[in-house]
Amino acid sequence: MKRAYLVFIVAGLVLAATALWFLLSNTQFKLYDLVETGIIILVVGFAVYLGYKRFSSAKRGEPAEDEMSRKVMRKTASWSYYISLYLWLAIMYFSDRIKLENHALIGAGILGMAVVFAISWLVINFGGIKNE
Amino acid sequence: MNNRIREYRARFDMTQGDLARKVNVRRETIVFLEKNKYNPSLKLAHDIARVFGVTIEEIFIFEP
Repeated sequence: MKRAYLVFIVAGLVLAATALWFLLSNTQFKLYDLVETGIIILVVGFAVYLGYKRFSSAKRGEPAEDEMSRKVMRKTASWSYYISLYLWLAIMYFSDRIKLENHALIGAGILGMAVVFAISWLVINFGGIKNE
Repeated sequence: MNNRIREYRARFDMTQGDLARKVNVRRETIVFLEKNKYNPSLKLAHDIARVFGVTIEEIFIFEP
């Protein structure tokens, strides 16, 4: 139950930080910044969905996580690690060919890792785990 | 591996949530077990069989 609340708190902090960045920034926002913000909102939405699932399980008198959810998380972490290695390789390759600042490339990499994790979780969670 | 959880649940007039609470897992885990999308640990298989008062082999059918 505590971890469900933690997810909501972290998601709230990320949204607040993004809103502050938008409000206090003097620079003009480009399409890239808007896409980045959209992805942040999607990732936060995914975290809130995970937190809600834990919260509703606990409310029904069931454990917030069990052997299947732990197995799904382990497999998701393993998949997303391998996929993220290729993501960073692709970013390194394109960094010479795309005119983006270093902090933008690193931000894209971190966001990409979060997206890879979310997609891996969706595929594994709804696809099921058999014979492992 | 196939299983007869749905059949036994109906026989005992139990919902997926009831069984989930008895074996201390989430309802989604029971849903995935019934759809054959998840193979349980030996402990969970044992706990489910014990709820229905049968052996593991009667609930879970192993097909190589």
